[in-house]
Amino acid sequence: MKLKDMIVMCLSNLFKRKVRTLLTVMGVVIGTCAIVIMVSLGLGLQKSQEDALAQMGDLTVIQIYNYGNVTEQPLDDAMIENFRKIPNVVAVTPVFEPEEWRTVELSSGKYEFSSSIAGVDFDALVALGFETDAGEIPTEGDLDHVLLFGADAVYNFYNPKSRNGWMGRGDEPLVNVMEDKLTLTIGKKDYDNKKKQPTYKATCAAILTADYSKNPSPGWRVFMDIDALKKLEAEYKKFNGIKTDRNKVEAYQEVVVKVTDMKAVEAVEEVIKSYGFETNSMETIRKPMEEQARSQQMILGGLGAISLLVAALGITNTMVMSIYERTREIGVMKVLGCLISNIRAVFLMEAGTIGFMGGVVGVGISYGISFIINTVAAAGGGANDNMFGIGGMSIGGSSIIPWWLVVGALIFSTLVGLISGFSPANRAVKISALTAIRQE
Amino acid sequence: MNLIEVKDLRKVYRIDQERVVALNRVNLAIGEGEVCCILGTSGSGKSTLLNIMAGLEKPTRGQVLIGGEDITAMGERQLALFRQKNIGFIFQSYNLMPTLTAVENVAMPLMFRGMGKRERNKRAKVMLKAVGLGKRMKHKPTQMSGGQQQRVGIARAFVARPKIVFADEPTGNLDSHTTIEVMEMIVKMSREHGETLILVTHDREIACYADRIVHLVDGNIVSDTPNQSVIGQSEPASGKPASPETVSEAGEGAESAAPDENPPAAGGQQTPLAAI
Repeated sequence: MKLKDMIVMCLSNLFKRKVRTLLTVMGVVIGTCAIVIMVSLGLGLQKSQEDALAQMGDLTVIQIYNYGNVTEQPLDDAMIENFRKIPNVVAVTPVFEPEEWRTVELSSGKYEFSSSIAGVDFDALVALGFETDAGEIPTEGDLDHVLLFGADAVYNFYNPKSRNGWMGRGDEPLVNVMEDKLTLTIGKKDYDNKKKQPTYKATCAAILTADYSKNPSPGWRVFMDIDALKKLEAEYKKFNGIKTDRNKVEAYQEVVVKVTDMKAVEAVEEVIKSYGFETNSMETIRKPMEEQARSQQMILGGLGAISLLVAALGITNTMVMSIYERTREIGVMKVLGCLISNIRAVFLMEAGTIGFMGGVVGVGISYGISFIINTVAAAGGGANDNMFGIGGMSIGGSSIIPWWLVVGALIFSTLVGLISGFSPANRAVKISALTAIRQE
Repeated sequence: MNLIEVKDLRKVYRIDQERVVALNRVNLAIGEGEVCCILGTSGSGKSTLLNIMAGLEKPTRGQVLIGGEDITAMGERQLALFRQKNIGFIFQSYNLMPTLTAVENVAMPLMFRGMGKRERNKRAKVMLKAVGLGKRMKHKPTQMSGGQQQRVGIARAFVARPKIVFADEPTGNLDSHTTIEVMEMIVKMSREHGETLILVTHDREIACYADRIVHLVDGNIVSDTPNQSVIGQSEPASGKPASPETVSEAGEGAESAAPDENPPAAGGQQTPLAAI
């Protein structure tokens, strides 16, 4: 038999018994709806939790603080190379600050910069998703005296000779960092040092957008390329005649690691901890929240599964009934030379079609219900939303139906149909042609 | 060469603890194009024999060779394919699909073979015209009389041009007038294409349409004779005296069938009739 003929036969068989088919499909519809809605509520809950976490900081960033810790292996460049090799790590950057205050001074004309300069890897900043208000983060070429200003840092210039040199935020900054001349000066450790301080012309490549979820936080700081800053520090030591202590271990105090996605955070953190470092990420907060959401999802999904199980029984019942009615028909088909594989296929198709139709309608209705839930939640939860600026947390969450849930629900409902139809189909196949045509 | 060869066929049914011998030891050879009637009362084993020959049932012992192939040794799938190609079936209770039209019913065996819709419907229509139902193509079985339904059944049995057509009491549910119509049609169809027809009946009247009558009693073949002798031999062979009524009815049947259907046999058939 051709596939087309089998499909036509299957559909006409279903159509023949409209009411029964409809009722059976309804069972699947309810089951599918239950599962989809329950899972979507669970997902909504999870999503709102994640959103809340994301507002607190980047979920895919791990910070390593190493202030004063003594570890077997120092947190140095070699170690950073080790971190880079961990699977799923996108970028690693140390946050390097010269040991001594005023190693490098930044000024523009009569104004001096009052905050610190930190050395980072510009490539890593790009990977970390830093955005700019002006200019672009340069990643190649000569980065020696290129600066990146934090959005707040532009206000950090003051006039040391003026009594009222500070300008608060909201007014025009005293220095237009993108336009005005900037100078880097190697600091004097000792006021008695009469040598002329080396100075360098500096340029500001970009002003970073204020985003407090970002790490390393630009905030009031100015970023420089780490190697350039190290060079300036070396020059500072040379200028001030400071000898490097050979026994002192060079170690970064802060390193930021960016991983591909949230799921990888835990594993990467494990590896870093195995080197003996303290780490910090949103994972520690996220995990228990996720577990809670998951257990809620399991309960909700379980409720849906039960209703689909009932629907499956309905399909089996319908198919068994239909076999009793069609015993003779099947017998005649066998006598006329219909292959039993074709008979089985038609039966399975019928059961599968019931499941699939139920799935399609169920998903459609689920979208409707989901829309209503979201509308009601948005209207009712409006007051609560403002409390912490964390939307959706306080109410039962919203309902999200991602594409995989739709596809999954369709596959699952069809599968339920097929499985429920399996034993009836086998029973149909076993009908003896002889007894079937004999019965009057 | 014989198309069908039945060798030492035995079938024993077990009903609870009892053993019922349906076929004792049957040997039979049927040639191509033959119209053969298996005659017997109910319980004589005639239906069992037909079912085994059609591959619907397995014998306890023995073989059925069709075209040299042993169908008793075939698996279910092989048998289904074999039936698709070689066998047509006419049932007593028509067994048409109630939801399908006449054309769709007739086209069904071709659909099982995997023929496209256009081609199989074309052939089905030709068959329906041949059985005189050219104006009933789109009718459902419930909208037709018994005789018309059986004619659809005949069209369905012959549509795939099978080598063998089995007819199991094809007129059992029809009145005597329609019986003649239907029987003439079945025999005519099989003769037109040289198809072997195996007719199973308890009715001597029907048996008269055949070239050859195999008389089955209690699972044994008691007589296997060309048609003209069926009436003369029937009484001693069956062991039970046939009523004169049956004999005369058979005569009438033969009379109506003989002149137009089988001229060579007709002469022979007339003789016993004339004797009565």
